[in-house]
Amino acid sequence: MAFKKDTVAGTMIFIISLSLVCSFMITGTVEILKERKLVKKRDEVQQFVLRAANVDISAGDFRELFTERVTPKMVNLESGEFVAQENLLDLDERMAAINPETSSKPKKDTAKIKTRANDIRIFEVRDESGQLTSVVMPIYGKGLWSMIYGYLAVKPDLNTVENIIFYEHGETPGIADFVTDSEWTDLWKGKQLFDEKGNIAIKVVKGGAKEGDVHGVDGVSGATRTGVGIQRAVEFWFGVEGYQPFLKQFAVTEAK
Amino acid sequence: MSSAVSTKQILTSPIFANNPVAMQVLGVCSALAVSNSMQTALVMTLAVTFVLVMSNLIISTIRNFIPNSVRIIAQMTVIASLVIIVDMVLQDVAYELSKQLSVFVSLIITNCIIMGRAEAFAMKYPPHLALVDALGNAMGYGVILLGVAFVRELLGRGTLFGHEIFTTIENGGWYLANEMFTLPPSAFFLIGVMIWAINVVQRKRG
Repeated sequence: MAFKKDTVAGTMIFIISLSLVCSFMITGTVEILKERKLVKKRDEVQQFVLRAANVDISAGDFRELFTERVTPKMVNLESGEFVAQENLLDLDERMAAINPETSSKPKKDTAKIKTRANDIRIFEVRDESGQLTSVVMPIYGKGLWSMIYGYLAVKPDLNTVENIIFYEHGETPGIADFVTDSEWTDLWKGKQLFDEKGNIAIKVVKGGAKEGDVHGVDGVSGATRTGVGIQRAVEFWFGVEGYQPFLKQFAVTEAK
Repeated sequence: MSSAVSTKQILTSPIFANNPVAMQVLGVCSALAVSNSMQTALVMTLAVTFVLVMSNLIISTIRNFIPNSVRIIAQMTVIASLVIIVDMVLQDVAYELSKQLSVFVSLIITNCIIMGRAEAFAMKYPPHLALVDALGNAMGYGVILLGVAFVRELLGRGTLFGHEIFTTIENGGWYLANEMFTLPPSAFFLIGVMIWAINVVQRKRG
């Protein structure tokens, strides 16, 4: 039977097979590019973590540096204990934070993140001699328009900020660009997260922090809400529903 | 012998005599938008070339099976799939550049040159001629795009492919960069001038 292209059946058969072929072309390309995308994402995470930990990556290969100095670990936020998990660099954090099986609703959602993952990936950073220099922890929260994603590194005293970086945000272009600017994030260095009583005390201060204020970071005028969002994100992540159980556990195990 | 001549004609006529942008005024939208630097113009030309060649080839190959009532849809399906592939590859290979080209890569789908060649040529001719026709038209598009980008980048910023040619006053040189050339309207004037020039040359040739 010859193919009659201008009949209804012929048209159907043609369109269906054409769509199939085209969809195979696209999924094929996606499949080929998938592995490269994963590698890129892995590289990105490694660079961000090293930058957050103030490790100089300009000289040498950052991948080697990362494997040498950094240990990624999974932490259960509720118990504060480490959880064993393979392939930590390929973890899809965004997915884990919204998947109902691996996430839960915070009771006090001050960072407006709706759900957070039960287990979070953190990074221990050590110097050449194996001495712990900082712990890098992911933080994120809602600014004025968008989620702001970043990493905060604390010194081994688990109180002093080693560095903070933000790598993704959708705040007002031109006004809130300062969050990715090291001139602003440098202000965080050496600030203390908690006061003497152990309560979270770090603040982004509108109009500028007073001199000598160990908990205050200058806010940026015109971007008050972005600053407030960042402050709330840090408050949430270093609060009782964030890293506090882990920090307590960690302080005990490190002291041993 | 006549077939050899016509093959050559198919290849060369779209470059000047029947240039898709200048003579048929197709695909001007993207030509205005991405012609402010040589680099974006070159990448855009490559992307359009790939889509045009592949779509002409595929459509010409299956032209005898395409039912008349759905031929535009069939062409769109092929073109859209190719553009998605180009977009994905570009994002993978040159992420920064793909951000500069932004929406214009996706808009290759609606670039009239590609639809026009598929409908007017690939539907009627065998694959090897369709391939030649696609190459010719892609070159025609590229000539205009790169030509406009050459003038715009050189006069607008004093550079070519990002390399300094004229030292601008800001960098302590002599050249006062003409900001107008970095803005889209300048491409209108330049394409207008090109259309005029091509017309004059064509008329002289008869």
